[in-house]
Amino acid sequence: MSTSIQYLLRRLGFYAIAAWAALTLNFFIPRMMPGDPASIIFARFRGKLNPEAMVALRETFGLTDEPLLGQYFTYLKNLLSGDLGISIAYFPQPVTEIISTALLWTIFLAGTSLIISFSLGTLLGTLAAWKRGGRLDSFLPPALAFFGAFPYFWLAMVALFTFGFGLGWFPLRHAYGDAVTPGFNLPFMIDAIYHAFLPALTMVMVSLGGWMLSMRNTMITTLGADYITFARAKGLPSKMVMLKYAARNAILPNFTGFGMALGFVLSGALLTEIIFSYPGQGYLLLEAVRAQDFPLMQGLFMTITLAVLGANWLVDIAILFLDPRTRR
Amino acid sequence: MPNPILSIKNLNVEYITQSDPNHAVKNVSFDIQKGEVFGLVGESGSGKSTVVQSILRTLPPPAIITGGQILLNGVDILQMSDADVQKFRWRQISIVMQSALNALNPVLSIRQQISDVLFIHKGLNKKEADARVRELFDLIDINHDRLDSFPHELSGGMRQRIVLAIALALMPPFIIMDEPTTALDVIVEREILFKVLELRKELGFTILFITHDLNLLLEFAERIGVMLQGDLIEVNTASVIGQGGEHEYTKKLIGSLPSATGPRRHDLIPLPDKKDQEPEPLLELRDLCKSFNLSGWINPKKLLAVNDVSFTINKSEIVSLVGESGSGKSTVARLIARLIKPTSGSIILNGKNIFESEPRKASLAYRRKVQMVFQDPFGSLNSVHTVYHHLERPIKRHKLMDESKIYQYIIDMLEAVDLSPGIVFADKFPHEMSGGERQRVAIARALSLKPELIIADEPTSMLDVSIRLDILRILANLRNQNNVAILFITHDLASARYLADRIIVLQNGKQVEEGLSEELTGNPQHHYTKQLIAAASPGWLKKNLENL
Amino acid sequence: MATRKNDSILFRWIKGIIHNKKALSGSLLVLSFILIAAIGPYITVDPNAFLDTPLSPPSFSHWFGTTGQGQDVLAQTISGARQTLIVGFATGFFVVLIGALIGGISGFYGGKVDDVLSMIINIFLVMPGLPLMVILASWLPPGPLTLTGVLVITGWAWNARVIRSQMMALRDRDFVSAAIVSGERNIRIILIEIMPRMLSLLASSFIGASIYAIGAQVGLEFLGLGDVSTITWGTNLYWASNDLALLTGSWWTFVPTGICIAFVSFGLTLINFGIDEVTNPRLISERNWRKYLPKGKGNDGITPVIKTHA
Repeated sequence: MSTSIQYLLRRLGFYAIAAWAALTLNFFIPRMMPGDPASIIFARFRGKLNPEAMVALRETFGLTDEPLLGQYFTYLKNLLSGDLGISIAYFPQPVTEIISTALLWTIFLAGTSLIISFSLGTLLGTLAAWKRGGRLDSFLPPALAFFGAFPYFWLAMVALFTFGFGLGWFPLRHAYGDAVTPGFNLPFMIDAIYHAFLPALTMVMVSLGGWMLSMRNTMITTLGADYITFARAKGLPSKMVMLKYAARNAILPNFTGFGMALGFVLSGALLTEIIFSYPGQGYLLLEAVRAQDFPLMQGLFMTITLAVLGANWLVDIAILFLDPRTRR
Repeated sequence: MPNPILSIKNLNVEYITQSDPNHAVKNVSFDIQKGEVFGLVGESGSGKSTVVQSILRTLPPPAIITGGQILLNGVDILQMSDADVQKFRWRQISIVMQSALNALNPVLSIRQQISDVLFIHKGLNKKEADARVRELFDLIDINHDRLDSFPHELSGGMRQRIVLAIALALMPPFIIMDEPTTALDVIVEREILFKVLELRKELGFTILFITHDLNLLLEFAERIGVMLQGDLIEVNTASVIGQGGEHEYTKKLIGSLPSATGPRRHDLIPLPDKKDQEPEPLLELRDLCKSFNLSGWINPKKLLAVNDVSFTINKSEIVSLVGESGSGKSTVARLIARLIKPTSGSIILNGKNIFESEPRKASLAYRRKVQMVFQDPFGSLNSVHTVYHHLERPIKRHKLMDESKIYQYIIDMLEAVDLSPGIVFADKFPHEMSGGERQRVAIARALSLKPELIIADEPTSMLDVSIRLDILRILANLRNQNNVAILFITHDLASARYLADRIIVLQNGKQVEEGLSEELTGNPQHHYTKQLIAAASPGWLKKNLENL
Repeated sequence: MATRKNDSILFRWIKGIIHNKKALSGSLLVLSFILIAAIGPYITVDPNAFLDTPLSPPSFSHWFGTTGQGQDVLAQTISGARQTLIVGFATGFFVVLIGALIGGISGFYGGKVDDVLSMIINIFLVMPGLPLMVILASWLPPGPLTLTGVLVITGWAWNARVIRSQMMALRDRDFVSAAIVSGERNIRIILIEIMPRMLSLLASSFIGASIYAIGAQVGLEFLGLGDVSTITWGTNLYWASNDLALLTGSWWTFVPTGICIAFVSFGLTLINFGIDEVTNPRLISERNWRKYLPKGKGNDGITPVIKTHA
């Protein structure tokens, strides 16, 4: 079992390096731009910001008179102590404070819709590959691919327009209504689910096809394996061959793909939040872009990166349980 | 004959393709008597595996059974309902498949995979199934602490035993064995077969044994059927087949088998033209070692694939390196071809230590002198290029001759390896040729640079039995006509004996014995060589069976 | 010497694509949009001009209605195609180029080179795309070049990973070893021996990357990170949302653009489906096989018996 721990530690080491790379990239991007960042910031905010905000901004980016390396270490030290600087749009609130509640909403909305989409897509892909050429297999992939071709936020716009504005079935914005008090109570939770329903639905619609297709493809490859023929020769019932022998193996590469695609898929989720004015990270991102709030932007980049890395580690743990070959 | 347990009548199977269906099995009929061992032999594509998979009706798409009857105790399997098919599988007939690694589900433990059969067919509960699994483990001599192992944790031989245990789980009266030992080394193969025959004596099941290896069947089958391109051309008792059978093709199969012992048949492969010169060393290996890192960068495990190998190849000599899979013989080939770098040791070509003169990369001069023919002719030619491209490139790269002469030279090369007319073959793509033809192209490519040494890494093992001898003959003639030295790498002691002047035996990366071919095979010293020779000699199984 | 081109694997492959229904209809769909992008601006009214009452619904004079600025939506939709498609395909091209370069080198050389390069690939893979794009785009001057650059930086890793694993598989094949033994240079082995074998992968990578680029580009511009003074499909949607299309109920300002984006992406997806089918002959023979079966029967693990021989 020590090899499993070694494997998880190795992955953790990789995520640490990835996190460090993201931090470093974030530090150097402003400094690699034509002109020096301080004057860019100054030029963009001239007259719009009070002097205290300007000082806070400079500090967030470590734009002091220190040499570059010194700035870099100050920057790292600040980040490690959880100090992401002060927001410009929400001055003088610290970025950490703004992001923390928004992060929970994003994890709730994007997390649930990702899990629903992945599970449903995997199930449909399994069935489609099993009954290859059947009704499900000939109709669903092109139909879902068509939905997958729409930008997330555009489908969200249409859904909101039709079911929110037009039919009035769903709330138009926000994560919960004014009538409920946030906390661990039933009315709030029901209201939160009610608000999340439409955005989650559009996200599932767009991403479902991709998951289904990749499961279908790995499943078809797996079905050609000798151990499937052997399982059939053993006279095992079809359902058992499909689930315990075929799908159980075919899901493994998809799980790895799930982790890898997380950062990618999350982008669509963030844009969807914007349409529904959902108070998550995506909505903040728009605010940050509109207000040119650089500290907030970099804070969002950091937290989303860390969330994706954490999710990837959970996927690693899941694979450890699912695939005995990683436990060698 | 009375009371056949299985009777196949006029079986026809077709594979649907993009164009015309491929008629893989044509009107095949034969009976198998209760309790006998029936062997079905044929080359790849002969339809033998298609026949046995039709019996269980496990042929995957795009196969369709287009005619005939398969009677199991008088009941036609081809007319059974789907539910009945599910029930007759494994209770009446079980199968041991070719590659045991691929036959086992990689993510389920051995215990689960055996229990599944018991749950479904016998309705046993967990405890009862467990007791039965333990019984089966005893039957195949595997320790109970392996119960919860996963397939990847077991050796090839052990996995094949597990598959055997699964086949025996319901004690069916009939077991199909589809090339069960092909992926295994000869010595392990012997152990498994011995175990199977021992169990048959004890339990009395009937065996249908499929293989491409006629020698193997002659050891223990009672009757043998020979298949060729979808037809069953002959069914006879093993003793009649062993004498050459009745069909021309059977005669050819029997006649084309070199043997490791007994008198050498000079008609099969020509002997070297004796020229009585002093042997002049061409290539010398000194204390060559190669280790591979297995896994983990925290504390890497090392595998010593080649361990202190030293030998010399003289000019225009054929030396054979014999060993089983994992013996390091292919690693030696790749080291000499300089596809990989040794961990330590030196290679001396024409008296010059090449790692001193060209340490990083092999020079063009070295490449020109040392050429290689690979095991898999399907893999060693690039499917997007013509034969002409394959032969033209090395000549151009080494600026061997004037552009205008290349075309004629390539045609000559192709005809030198019996690909004639060369003009036709030059134009072909790899997928338009048979395996044997491809391997000849590969030989022609190696030969076209007029090298001093050709390394031939198992050049015949992926080819059908009936054309292996042709390739060996071409190699033997090359040496006689072009004075090229050949390092022939093989797992087959018999063909090494026929082709090579000297044999070097390799085991687990170490050289265990070296000697002139006839001396080494006639009077082996090392016990491993003795084992190899015993396993390759006719009658080895019979001798042991008598003691049962 | 002339070789018989029509028998090569490549030629058969291209022929298969032309005869594949999905690939063909996908190509037609994409080609018609390319045509629109090329000639569109010459046949429509000026998309920038203020022509009518803002936000007037579709009518005979303005088939798709007008925007919040009183511009013609049809003209905007058509002229938006050009920059969107150029940026999309350019990104697709560079993503495959960089992916093939880094993934190819990583897979071919292996060892320490691969350790370093695959680490970089994996880091870029797990880094979330959109926030990184936002950071990059917000510091750079807005415009198509910035967009392409940002999309390539955040998108190359996926292709590099796929190409690397394919390269590793091919690199261990004997035909590569044979080329090395005959003295070929590495660069020639990669370009002449290996790359032709990866052509279908490269083609589908290009298409996949273009789909990604069109979607991500539209997303970035929707956030306001493009040059909002140019007309592209992304800025069309940006203005629609800025002019409160949802609140005012003016669906015509965002529906046509979205449908165009979806059609192009769907057309590209269809081409990839087609490539998949053509390069996988097993699927084709299996489809033919199914035609022989009685209705409603599929592959249930029991070989069908259909007696045609007496």
